[in-house]
Amino acid sequence: MKRPLNSMQFPLYVLLLLLMGSVIIPLTTEKFNMKAKTVILGTLVLSWGMMLSTFINVLREGPYLYNIGNWGPKIGIQFNIDIFSTSMSLFILSLSILVIIYSLKDIEHEIYFKQISVYYSLVLLLILGMVGITVTNDLFNTYVFMEILAITSCAIISIKRKKENYMASFRYLILNTLGSLSFLFGVALLYMVTGYLNMSEIYIRINQVWELYPTNLLLALGLMLTGLGIKAAVFPLHVWLPDAHSTAPTPSSALLSGLVVKVYIFTAMKLLFRVIGLEIIDTINIPSFITYFAVVGMIMGSVFAIGQRDIKRLLAYSSVAQIGYIFLGVGLATELGLSAGLFHVVSHGFMKSLLFLSAGAIIYKTGKRDIRTFKGIGYQMPLTMILFTVGALGMIGIPGLNGFMSKWYLGFAVLEKGQPIYLIVILLSSFLNAIYYLPIIISAFLTEGEERNIMVLEDIPKTMSIPMVLIASFCIITGFFPQIVMDVVSRAIPTFL
Amino acid sequence: MEIVQAIIDRINYIGAAILFVIGLYTVLTHPNLIKKVIGINIMETAVFLLMVSVGYVAGGNAPILGLTKEQTSELYVNPLPTAMILTGIVVAVSITAYSLSLIVKIYEAYGTIEVDEIMELRSEKAVE
Amino acid sequence: MNIVKPSRKEGTKKTFDYFSINCVLIFLVAAVSTLLFVASTLTGSDGNVIGSGSIQTTIGYILKLKPLPLFIIMFPLIGGPLEALIGRKSENLRDSTVVDTTFITFIAILAMYPQVSRGTMNYFIPGVFGHGLSFRVDMLSFIMAATSGVLWLMVTIYAHDYMGIEEHRNRFYLWMSVTYGGVLGTVLAGDMLTMFLFFEIMTFSSYMLVAHNQSKESILAGNNYLYMGIAGGLSLLLGIMLLYAYTGTLNFVPLASQLAELGWRKYLITGLFVLGFGVKAGMLPLHIWLPKAHPVAPTPASALLSGILIKVGAYGMLRVAVSFFVPAANEIVSFGDSLWVVSERLGAIIIWTGVITMAIGVFMALQQSNMKKMLAYHSISQMGYIIMGIGVASYLGYNGAMGFSGSIYHIVNHALFKALLFMVVGLVYLRTKELDMYKLGGMWKKMPFTAFVCVIAILGITGMPGFNGFASKSILHHAIIEAYEYGHPSFKYAEFIFTLVSAGTVCSFIKLFKYVFCGACPEKYKNIDGEKGMMDLAMGGLALMIIAIGQAPNYLLNQFIIPATEGLTFDPAFINEYLVSMDFFNAKDVLGMLWIYLIGIGIFILGTKFDLFHLHLPRWFNIETAFYKPMARGVIMFSNNITKHYEIAIIKSDIIIYTCVLTGIIFLLMKFV
Repeated sequence: MKRPLNSMQFPLYVLLLLLMGSVIIPLTTEKFNMKAKTVILGTLVLSWGMMLSTFINVLREGPYLYNIGNWGPKIGIQFNIDIFSTSMSLFILSLSILVIIYSLKDIEHEIYFKQISVYYSLVLLLILGMVGITVTNDLFNTYVFMEILAITSCAIISIKRKKENYMASFRYLILNTLGSLSFLFGVALLYMVTGYLNMSEIYIRINQVWELYPTNLLLALGLMLTGLGIKAAVFPLHVWLPDAHSTAPTPSSALLSGLVVKVYIFTAMKLLFRVIGLEIIDTINIPSFITYFAVVGMIMGSVFAIGQRDIKRLLAYSSVAQIGYIFLGVGLATELGLSAGLFHVVSHGFMKSLLFLSAGAIIYKTGKRDIRTFKGIGYQMPLTMILFTVGALGMIGIPGLNGFMSKWYLGFAVLEKGQPIYLIVILLSSFLNAIYYLPIIISAFLTEGEERNIMVLEDIPKTMSIPMVLIASFCIITGFFPQIVMDVVSRAIPTFL
Repeated sequence: MEIVQAIIDRINYIGAAILFVIGLYTVLTHPNLIKKVIGINIMETAVFLLMVSVGYVAGGNAPILGLTKEQTSELYVNPLPTAMILTGIVVAVSITAYSLSLIVKIYEAYGTIEVDEIMELRSEKAVE
Repeated sequence: MNIVKPSRKEGTKKTFDYFSINCVLIFLVAAVSTLLFVASTLTGSDGNVIGSGSIQTTIGYILKLKPLPLFIIMFPLIGGPLEALIGRKSENLRDSTVVDTTFITFIAILAMYPQVSRGTMNYFIPGVFGHGLSFRVDMLSFIMAATSGVLWLMVTIYAHDYMGIEEHRNRFYLWMSVTYGGVLGTVLAGDMLTMFLFFEIMTFSSYMLVAHNQSKESILAGNNYLYMGIAGGLSLLLGIMLLYAYTGTLNFVPLASQLAELGWRKYLITGLFVLGFGVKAGMLPLHIWLPKAHPVAPTPASALLSGILIKVGAYGMLRVAVSFFVPAANEIVSFGDSLWVVSERLGAIIIWTGVITMAIGVFMALQQSNMKKMLAYHSISQMGYIIMGIGVASYLGYNGAMGFSGSIYHIVNHALFKALLFMVVGLVYLRTKELDMYKLGGMWKKMPFTAFVCVIAILGITGMPGFNGFASKSILHHAIIEAYEYGHPSFKYAEFIFTLVSAGTVCSFIKLFKYVFCGACPEKYKNIDGEKGMMDLAMGGLALMIIAIGQAPNYLLNQFIIPATEGLTFDPAFINEYLVSMDFFNAKDVLGMLWIYLIGIGIFILGTKFDLFHLHLPRWFNIETAFYKPMARGVIMFSNNITKHYEIAIIKSDIIIYTCVLTGIIFLLMKFV
């Protein structure tokens, strides 16, 4: 296979570009002005373009392994450039661009003016970490990217100078570090018995290891899965998530909830299916453990969400439940299940960021966070609330929105596995979603607030409304034409099984 | 005797495990935030110890080319884990630095660094 | 913008404005086209009876258009937002647009007839939902669509004047149009997934109609409706998924032979479908939203809810009962084939549910003093008739054509007279602002035309020979008699209850008419305004249809309902013998009706004498307070308590949880060493 050299190196360029951008922004501009915005968006759009061309290239000519600096897999870092990693990176970059366009206006109102350029530097690093963790094929490299993500996301949370932010950030940091350390411990144990850090190379040797050193392998697996479980906020390990996601600046809540949590799911998928392999994890029954955790999370996340009064906290708990859906798909360990899980990764990413952004717009405009004060807000900000409704109905799973399609696919994956009881849990969780999302919409549109409920055209800035409209239209389009996502996703899945 | 020998052979790994547990215990039991950070550091040390021990080859040389005179055998110590641990230490340092700076801010905000007291302050606020 | 303006003062607009001209024109054109349509169905021509040359080619083109169902659904769905936009400029223009789009949709529905009469009409849009959106119009769908078309046209004409007392009119028309699209989509859908899509659209948009006036009761009623609707939708979805996973098809094809291998699961699927559609249809334990939602909705919405929306639930049940759980025509040998077993058990349950629904509905209706609530309970009771018909269709399987025709016929008839009754009550409410029938009286002097159409509607609903209710009730009566002749003798009691319920209906409407229209007019209503032209037009249109169907009951049966049975697994010989050229006005049925009237009058006299219409029912009798409310409160309380007590505790014990999970997982994994 002959490819033009430069296009093969695009993934690395993307990472370098983001790194460069994050360094340049705080350096070049004292004030946060048009120039800085151009740098940020330019960096992102350029990386998006490169990722897109890589994706098309991969679709056309097949996947390849990219060795950085031509070091071999034994000592070098390797990127696995296939449909899965490129499509998911593309998804990460696209959503990030939309969220960042939104944030350009919103962030002025959330954090101190001086820190805005630092914030964007951190956000670019965050995106770098997410793209890196998705494309890398090396366990230690994964750890490094995980730490980059951990520090940047904690910093983003604590950039808002508030009491709660410090505590949330600290808790997140401690738990994140515990997670990373468990992961690294596992990596060390795996390296001890295989001598490789490269995922594909470990996979080749894993059967032998399983026969000779089962203790090592099992310990490593337990530690790594727990670590990833913390980071991906699987139910009982979700403790950091509500505080962190609800206190962060809203655009970054959208990124954290919509994307950051998801890349750890990608890592877990890679670990389970690309490093260890389906045969071994099936013999030690890991998939069913994962489904148990997932099912509990689906119900308990919603139960906790019902009790919330703060809109962002409610959305954060809803994420816990939705992560349960994704892990249910992963835990089924079938082609259908994994594709349904990945489909839900994408649809939840879009829906949840839409919800966070519209909640952010409400906070931006009215300063209200308590859902009991949302009475009549649909008249003050009709567009925002309509977009919120789109997201919420998607979460409930109304046909015509992408949330329904993920439930549909997940339902069939569950049935194919022969466990209809999980289908009932899925639908029960949908009903619980309805219980906490609908009252917000009803009180927004159908009750009179203290202000005279005059239907006014809202004046949230265009840069905030356009990204939201784009995300919402994507939700609706994929709701009606799920194949757009599903075709790509189902082509990416066979590399796992 | 065999057991003792086996323990001595694997002393690094056992040490790593013990350190990991000690670190975890520290994080778990101490409400003081700084002690939690210290606990995390101990855990990090445990992992680094494990990683370095993995790379050790009994009787091997330092993996530096050109040191032919002092070379006692054909074996080299695996240099890769050491390199990785260097990265790990950098990460650990940055995390420690960041968390300590956060603790300063928390102290400024709450007037205490005991997590129990902070949570009490918070739940009082929630009740209000 | 609509809120800023003060509510239109009623009675100030007596002028014969362009909305009225538009309405009258549309009404006349609709009447003429309906007549032409009837003529063309009788002569068997392709409906191509008017015009010549290019007009003829255009009409011919439209009549052969394949994607017609899609257009029919898209018209109101696109028209809705358009109307809301126009409404910001001019209310009159918006209302005219609403009537016009509804009319165009109605004509388009009628235009499907030539294709439908030649055979089932299929239209498939690949790609949507991954499965494709499929539309399939057979006679059954056509009847439903045409009924909703007529009703919607009349209601939109009526709504213009009525909505003057409500606020947020743009929103109302928007959601009314979307609901129209949803209803049409549900009945024209060709597979379960498409049906589910439009069914959910209908649930949500009609919620906006229920909760329209934003008062506390309507929000509560709306919540009730919405959550039950969602729960029903989810159970439907579960049924659809199970069905698709086990049989691999979503189309409405007979699946009994495949289902036979599924064991207990087939009963689960059946139950889920009945539950899902039963919520919408107001089937008994699931009916609690209905008597709340219908009274609080604005009258045009109540008319639509009672007229069509609950029928969609019945339609869904009918569609599912006669397509999935029956064997294909070529698979069966006879009536007693073993493949019918699912259908038969399903049918027996549905019959009894229907019978209980009708009995409790009419009993509760007798206790009401709120007119709209009474009509809502009557809707439940009449739905009981329809559900019972569906049950018979399913129970008797191959010989079930009688129940099938009866329920469709009753769907059409009930839509007409119940909408008319709601309109009458709405007009009374519009003028007097009073819904309690005991506080009204003597209205016939103020509103003679209303009283006249009310009589027609009452004669329709009680089943007077010569009015439409008679036709469907006799078919249903025959059906239940067949059920015990061919099936189990216990249905004899069902027939008895059937008769009693009919008598109760008579009594209840005598009560309504007496208290509202007869007697002396209370002092404070001496100076109220009379009727309004456009509202009379709408009510008159419905009354005309009631009489027309009543006079020629065989027309609807022969032209539409019997063709509807053709695509389904029913015994053609049976249909030929009993249904074709059925003699409605035979002595036995007419005399039976006379008895029912006598019993009804008897109940009325007894009831007023012993004050039986104000019973205080014990609390446990109310299924809502006994079951639903504790459940709903339980879920909320549970969540709130858990959050209150454990949220902070869980967050505090972050590292403990990590340690426990870690040790737990490692402990579990170490088993495999």
